[in-house]
Amino acid sequence: MIDPKKQAEIVHKSLKKRYRKEKRFRAYGILAITIALASLIVLFADIINKGHTGFLKTTITLDVEMNAETMYLEDPTDPDAVRMADFVEPLIQSLSEILPEATEEDRGKLRGLINPYASSQLRDELVANPDWMGTTQTITFLAHSNVDVYNKHKGNEAYSIKLSEEQQQYVDKLRDKGVIETSFNDVFFTSGDSRDPARAGVLGAIVGSLLVMFVTLVLSFPIGVAAAIYLEEFAPRNRITDFIEVNINNLAAVPSIIFGLLGLAVFINLFGMPRSVPFVGGLVLTLMTLPTIIISSRAAIKSVPPSIREAAEGVGASKMQVVLHHVLPLAMPGMLTGSIIGMAQALGETAPLLLIGMVAFIVEIPEGFFDAATVLPVQVFLWAGSPELAFIERASAAIMVLLAFLLSMNALAIWLRKRLERRW
Amino acid sequence: MKKDNNSVYGGHTSHEFNEDLASLNADFLKMGYMVRDQLTNAIAALMDGDGFRADEVRNNDKIVDKLELEIDDEAVRIIARRQPAAIDLRLVIAVMKMVADLERVGDEAKKIAKSALALSEEGQAPRGYVEVRHISNHVLEMLNDALDAFARLDSELALRVMKEDKIVDEEYKAATRSLLTFMMEDTRNISRCMSVMWVLRALERVGDHACNISEHVIFMVEGEDIRHTPVEDTEKLVGR
Amino acid sequence: MNMNDTLISEPLEPQEMSTPVNRPVEDAGAQSAKVEEGKTVGKPFADDPKFKLRNVEVFYGQERAIKNVSLDIGRNEVIAFIGPSGCGKSTFLRCLNRMNDSIDICRVKGQLMLDDEDIYHSKKDVVELRARVGMVFQKPNPFPKSIYDNVAYGPRIHGLANRKSELDDIVEDSLRKAGLWNEAKDRLHSIATGMSGGQQQRLCIARAIAVSPEVVLMDEPCSALDPIATAKVEELISELSESYTIIIVTHSMQQAARVSSRTAYFHLGHLVEVNETSKVFTSPEHELTESYITGRFG
Repeated sequence: MIDPKKQAEIVHKSLKKRYRKEKRFRAYGILAITIALASLIVLFADIINKGHTGFLKTTITLDVEMNAETMYLEDPTDPDAVRMADFVEPLIQSLSEILPEATEEDRGKLRGLINPYASSQLRDELVANPDWMGTTQTITFLAHSNVDVYNKHKGNEAYSIKLSEEQQQYVDKLRDKGVIETSFNDVFFTSGDSRDPARAGVLGAIVGSLLVMFVTLVLSFPIGVAAAIYLEEFAPRNRITDFIEVNINNLAAVPSIIFGLLGLAVFINLFGMPRSVPFVGGLVLTLMTLPTIIISSRAAIKSVPPSIREAAEGVGASKMQVVLHHVLPLAMPGMLTGSIIGMAQALGETAPLLLIGMVAFIVEIPEGFFDAATVLPVQVFLWAGSPELAFIERASAAIMVLLAFLLSMNALAIWLRKRLERRW
Repeated sequence: MKKDNNSVYGGHTSHEFNEDLASLNADFLKMGYMVRDQLTNAIAALMDGDGFRADEVRNNDKIVDKLELEIDDEAVRIIARRQPAAIDLRLVIAVMKMVADLERVGDEAKKIAKSALALSEEGQAPRGYVEVRHISNHVLEMLNDALDAFARLDSELALRVMKEDKIVDEEYKAATRSLLTFMMEDTRNISRCMSVMWVLRALERVGDHACNISEHVIFMVEGEDIRHTPVEDTEKLVGR
Repeated sequence: MNMNDTLISEPLEPQEMSTPVNRPVEDAGAQSAKVEEGKTVGKPFADDPKFKLRNVEVFYGQERAIKNVSLDIGRNEVIAFIGPSGCGKSTFLRCLNRMNDSIDICRVKGQLMLDDEDIYHSKKDVVELRARVGMVFQKPNPFPKSIYDNVAYGPRIHGLANRKSELDDIVEDSLRKAGLWNEAKDRLHSIATGMSGGQQQRLCIARAIAVSPEVVLMDEPCSALDPIATAKVEELISELSESYTIIIVTHSMQQAARVSSRTAYFHLGHLVEVNETSKVFTSPEHELTESYITGRFG
């Protein structure tokens, strides 16, 4: 036996050592979290730094004179002839009026300031308003993407190489005169993809993602929950169910590109479904998220206390009633959270969709499950690979949109859990 | 039926409970043997006309009373703290009741001592002492046996004590009859004979108490309350 | 063909099971006393019983948890099952409304008759049985719903009430019987898990009696409650005993002594002794019962 006095002394001595150990342990933990947080902040800072300009656009506001002569238009009253008119000329003229120092030889340089699609914009407006002919209208056009980039990153050499020195001077002048302005980039959110970065938007990708997610949710949630309930509540415990269980766990670890290959082989080649459509994308992502949903749903069902089942059985509820009235409502928050996390994972998935052709260049905004479409992460992937400088910031901006979607889905998961959770 | 002592006072998961019951048992036996000694001394004082000894008996009765209170207190404490059941419960209940009987035996001893004092002043051996000696031997043996039956948890011995009581009753009747004869022969004898009669009466009561103690021992060992039941039924129960 | 049967190899005959793997129980008393299988001292049988149980055996896989138990349970009596941990009293209790059905490896043999109907008959619906034989569990386990919904759940699923007012009556009546009406009437629609442990357990009793069962099984109903809540539940049990048959498993011998009219003592799967409670607690016949009751093992 140890003498009580001595014991107190020994304990007192060892106490210091223990406290030191605890402190050290806590320090490790704080360090780990700091590193994680720091890298996260760096990542976000980088993306926001690169991408925030993607939410801005550069416009040129010109007083355009619709002169039939300059437009090489013989009969301004014939709508078909109007379509064939030269719409570049009035723009150049308008510009050179503002920039008198530009000579005839600089017309090409002036032209390089205006968006290549500005002429078709002018044409469309003129067709819509035939009475404009012969008047002067103040119209706002998008600037050329090179101007856009230069304008938004003033003083940064890397962003000005596409413009000649004269052009740079022109832009500076135009900005001083208020012709070139920077404003919120509504084009980014209202249009689909485009070869011209200034006109490229994420709306097509967002709609595509929503369509794919809808298909995935509608298929994977009921199937996953039903499978989980069957396996957990009704399936007999034997080799077959053990085998199924092991394989579900394995499927969750299968690389997602394999699911893409599967989708390509089964849905497209075997069943002859069209390529690049949200429906097939949803099917492939359903396959991918099912294991996650089944596993999390089973965990949620398992976490329902057996005492509740017993209580229901004790008053004479049948198996079905026990599951429907008690187990399912109690497991629902867990199932929903698991499903939303799975969906978020699917939302960020690129690889399997590349294989089923959702990587195509699609300008139109998809209108249904069988329209060719792309999704947000694929759009990011496409833009990030484009050579134009302006696409880099578009890609970063698209990443921010994607992150916003993911964060809001996670927030929804948390809110749902808080809302539905019941204590027992 | 005999029960193993260890199976009654030992074997509990709680050692303290074992000790409580053992100490209750020891205290009860201590009181029992003390009361028996009181009775022996009172009879001896009577026979020898020893006033000093009789006084001693009268004084010692206070100790017996104190023991009774102590044992009762202990029993109540056990019930409150341990909630005894079955044999333990019967033991505690039986002890509480037997203690009352023992205390009464002590009182009878005190009465005998008082009579001894009164008679010793007369100085001469009176008539009826033969009967007293005879009955007192018998009663002392019964009391001794009853205590032994408790100590050994021996219901057969207890049953024998109960049967003895019948004999004591007979002897008591015979003795009173002969004393009555003395009194009728010579009226001067009446007061002395009455004193002896009281002693006999006290001894007969002691026999009854010994009998009661035996009944409680049987209740304790067999688990059946055999008061007011015919002896034959008790015999069947004990002989099982 | 039941799936369970494929899991268990050929059922063994009782004589082959004569040396089952017994869990060691520290019992000083059991060394000297042996239990004879199927032999119960005291008065296990009754005239016109509610439950008539003969030669009941329960197997957990290969292990025999209940060994040849025969017992009658009378009408409107309170019978307590006592015994050391692992003696099978809870297992036996749960056989009476087939709560063991959900355990795959559990098999029940023998004759279990409720009012002359075999409760393990293949055509007997367990839902109907449980409507007649209600159960209250060790830990209060109200559903995470309102107090009202808890009590109304049973009558709802069995279709006992046609109108809302009928259901209201059932709920009020059950809560009154469970002595909970005064405490709960003002918050019938607040969540039941917000009540105290004792109230929750009485709510569970109310829920059990709301379907008007004939028998109420109670598996250590007070083991999670404080003494005052326990006293209330015990009081309730003695009130309920006027209209229900109550079978209660308890670890507290004092509780068995207080609430029951008969007591059954189980030991290692054997039913050792059944008798009037007063008899069992003052002078038990079997040595093992005595050892257990006096706290000599277990």
